[in-house]
Amino acid sequence: MTASKLLRHETILAVLTVIALAVLASLSDKFFTPENLLNQGRLMAEVGLVALAMTFVIVTGGIDLSVGSILGLTAILLGVFWKNLGLPLPAAIVLALACGTFAGWINGFIITRFGVPPLIATLATLALYRGLAEGISEARSVRGYPEWFFFFGQGEVLGVPFQLWLLGLATVIAAVILGLTPFGRATYAIGANETAARFSGIRVDATKLWIYTAAGFCSALAAVIFVSRVTTTRSDMGTGLELDVITGVVLGGTSIFGGRGTIIGTVLGLILIQALKNGLALSGVKGDGTIVVIGLVLIGAILAGALFDKNRGG
Amino acid sequence: MKKLTLAALVGLGLMSGSALAASAWTGGDDQPTNPLSCDATPAAATAKPYDGGVPTNPPDRKGKEITVVDVPKLIGIGYFNATSKGIADAAAELGNVKAKTDGPTKANIDEQITFIDNYITSGVDGILFAANDPVAIAPVLKKALEKGINVVGYDANSTPDARQWFVNQAEFNGIAKALVDSMAAEVGGEGGVAIVTSTFTTPNQARWIAEMAAYAEKCHPKLKWLETVEAQEDNNLSFNQATTLINKHGDELKGIFGMTSVATPASAEAVTQANKCGSVAVVGLATPNAMKPYVEKGCVKSVVLWNPVDLGYAAMQVLRAVADGSLQPGATSVKAGKLGDLQVINGSEILLGAPYVFNKDNIGQFDF
Amino acid sequence: MTAIAASPGRSNLQRFLSGYGQEIVVFLSIIALFVVVGAINPRFLSDTNINSIFAGNAYIAIAAIGMSMIIIAGHIDVSVGALIGVIATIAGTLAVSGYPIWVAWLVPILFSIAVNAGVGALVAYTRIPSIVVTLGMLSILKGGLISLTAGEWITDMPPEFMIAQMRPFGIPAAVYFMVALTILAALFMRYTDFGRSIYAVGGNMEAARAAGINPERTVVGVFALHGLFAGVAGILFATQLQVIQSTVPPNLELTVITASVIGGVSILGGTGTVIGSTLAAILFACIGSALIFLNVSAYWLRAVLGLMILATVLADMARRRRAK
Repeated sequence: MTASKLLRHETILAVLTVIALAVLASLSDKFFTPENLLNQGRLMAEVGLVALAMTFVIVTGGIDLSVGSILGLTAILLGVFWKNLGLPLPAAIVLALACGTFAGWINGFIITRFGVPPLIATLATLALYRGLAEGISEARSVRGYPEWFFFFGQGEVLGVPFQLWLLGLATVIAAVILGLTPFGRATYAIGANETAARFSGIRVDATKLWIYTAAGFCSALAAVIFVSRVTTTRSDMGTGLELDVITGVVLGGTSIFGGRGTIIGTVLGLILIQALKNGLALSGVKGDGTIVVIGLVLIGAILAGALFDKNRGG
Repeated sequence: MKKLTLAALVGLGLMSGSALAASAWTGGDDQPTNPLSCDATPAAATAKPYDGGVPTNPPDRKGKEITVVDVPKLIGIGYFNATSKGIADAAAELGNVKAKTDGPTKANIDEQITFIDNYITSGVDGILFAANDPVAIAPVLKKALEKGINVVGYDANSTPDARQWFVNQAEFNGIAKALVDSMAAEVGGEGGVAIVTSTFTTPNQARWIAEMAAYAEKCHPKLKWLETVEAQEDNNLSFNQATTLINKHGDELKGIFGMTSVATPASAEAVTQANKCGSVAVVGLATPNAMKPYVEKGCVKSVVLWNPVDLGYAAMQVLRAVADGSLQPGATSVKAGKLGDLQVINGSEILLGAPYVFNKDNIGQFDF
Repeated sequence: MTAIAASPGRSNLQRFLSGYGQEIVVFLSIIALFVVVGAINPRFLSDTNINSIFAGNAYIAIAAIGMSMIIIAGHIDVSVGALIGVIATIAGTLAVSGYPIWVAWLVPILFSIAVNAGVGALVAYTRIPSIVVTLGMLSILKGGLISLTAGEWITDMPPEFMIAQMRPFGIPAAVYFMVALTILAALFMRYTDFGRSIYAVGGNMEAARAAGINPERTVVGVFALHGLFAGVAGILFATQLQVIQSTVPPNLELTVITASVIGGVSILGGTGTVIGSTLAAILFACIGSALIFLNVSAYWLRAVLGLMILATVLADMARRRRAK
């Protein structure tokens, strides 16, 4: 896995993204304005945070389908802790984050301790966590949060949306961990060949546990931001999030078989998808047309990457 | 195997316990109800000051062509195809409106917000919406108002300050009364009834169910609510759920309420395929086209709805009036094209009219 | 399954039991469910209810047959729900446009086979992971469907078209399809060369190649087969009601994948049977009905189902560990 191979897909993606941005900007003059771009940054923060953690997950050769349900569950718990249990809002937020993180930990536990394949384990918890969200909330929403809470989802610092700062910080941290630390190297090793990694002394189970817990934490954080952005909680929040996240990560060059992928790739993939969704809408394409384009771009981009990468086996 | 059975039984035991605690009809929300009187006395209309939102420095759109986008809860169901048609009809009639309908393929608030946000950026003059969640949609609608965009809602409201006007098809308690009265008339005032709804989190449905419970308790106490099942907006799932209800309750079930334009025909189909036409009544909200086969065969006696084409039509007319400045806060009525004068109620709501009851005699005249 | 033959000294019964362990567990769960729930509410056992459960969910079981084959081959398809929506819409449109009934039945199935063969070719020859290709297909099919139909419902279909509502000898046609296709598929997987090559490719692709199997052609073939089953499922789905919603049935792919997996098909590829997936699909349908019959609070239905999936998965892993 040399640097040149790594960069191959990301370079194609970067070129594709630039082309897409140029085309979209030419189709609508409202697209490439600072206001719109910052707004899009705000809207992609939730998917972005989860995608950072999902990159680690997929690099180890695993997958997490329950992130959307963890988001929904955390959102509901936030409301329940604050309104029904009467906790002060900061405490409710921290407790809800802890619960979401714990949900991620349970995923990791089931996968490492019981050896359940990640697809199945998280398929089961997708249903379970969503069901818990529905049951606990009994389909009621919680609203009426104090004004200061809305800062996370709707506020700005120096003209840039708050959650975009958060996403930027998280991206830097994730990139450093994945690219420059032993933990990151262990992640790649597990994805490339788990048995070899185990034999070479890497604590595979502990690493995986951390990664799935982090996915839970990121989903929970995304939940807090989302609730703050829309000022209410609903048990169906985050439905379908996992597909958006996985699409972004895979588009970014992370191999679903594990062992390959970068944070910068994921970021590019997310930017491309968000740009398409927004740019196409601005140039008059309706919702259904946009999803067709995204599907074609996904297959096309991966195809392009695969064709350039003929040496890489399945 | 043992672990599985044990876990399953424990889980079931826990869950069943909580079911017994519910007293009001499951699926209703927890807001205060206001049942109408049992006879035909209309509710006293209380005047309320205007409580809608106000756009910031809207440009002068009087008489000029405007672009309008309609973002319903979801696209792909007959009901919103009908409202979309009404909007298009009004736009054609007015002549100076470019309208299009675009929305999520699932009834999802996250996606609906993104749609509206994109249209704000693209610079539309007006937004029509039917909200998946009244509170969650408010921030993005307020953003639209701040940009000087005219915002009018229909079918499913937002919080009042997030839009200028809301075209209400019928009051929640009026719909509840129409449904429950129709059911009581068919089953003879007493018997077990069940409900098929979309999801428990859909605000309109939750309001209706709560009002239905209150009205039934007040005026038809012998109607016994059996249970409520969710079926999203999925035809096949609604059918399966309704069939399960019929199988589970047997002769105890005298009627099924269908709370969405998908649930009602599916429930009617379930009753038909179970050969229970005539012994299980189906009363609900639905579009006439979907119900024609059942009404014509006599399996379903009456279908309650307003005219969604009229609803869309009225919403578009209201938006034009607002953009032109001819409809101002404090007005008591508004002229809505061929529908004539519509009344303003509750401060910033415009009432379409009384619910319409489709039956064998008139259902053939409609095509939506 | 191949490991079983290599353990001498076990009786035929023992081999059968350990080879079909998960399937037996699922089968016994179904029986147990009927007994327990039937005792609490005898109407659960009425023939109308059993009919409804089987007929109403047969299409899921049939789709799960194709999905199982895909998973056994080491791949996955997350677009099957959208595919079924498209097939149903094509079928309904052909039927109301006056084409002969057999055209309305067969053309959508052929379409499904062709599309899936294409997906299979893409997966086999370009080595793009199937989850990626089918994720893309999901978007394309979903968006394409809405674009073309604008969500208009299809009504007034001719009665001869409504195959799912026919009842030869009183049993719904869908049930015949489900049983027949399951048996045929099971025999196919077990006793034909192609069937066995699916297992081989799923178990170890390079070893299969060394043994003379052409993995690429096998993958294309198994996707095409999956298209066949999805096509039949789509036709049954389309004819259940008088109305076809031209949208994608929500969550269908998750239900189908879960049915395959619970039925014993290992996501790691190479093992599992289609009988298991059909039984699991039936089990799910029964559980869904049972939860309503048992008055489980409607708000908690999803959670209970999720808990059961988890419990089944954990029990299965524990059983596999013990078998080792």
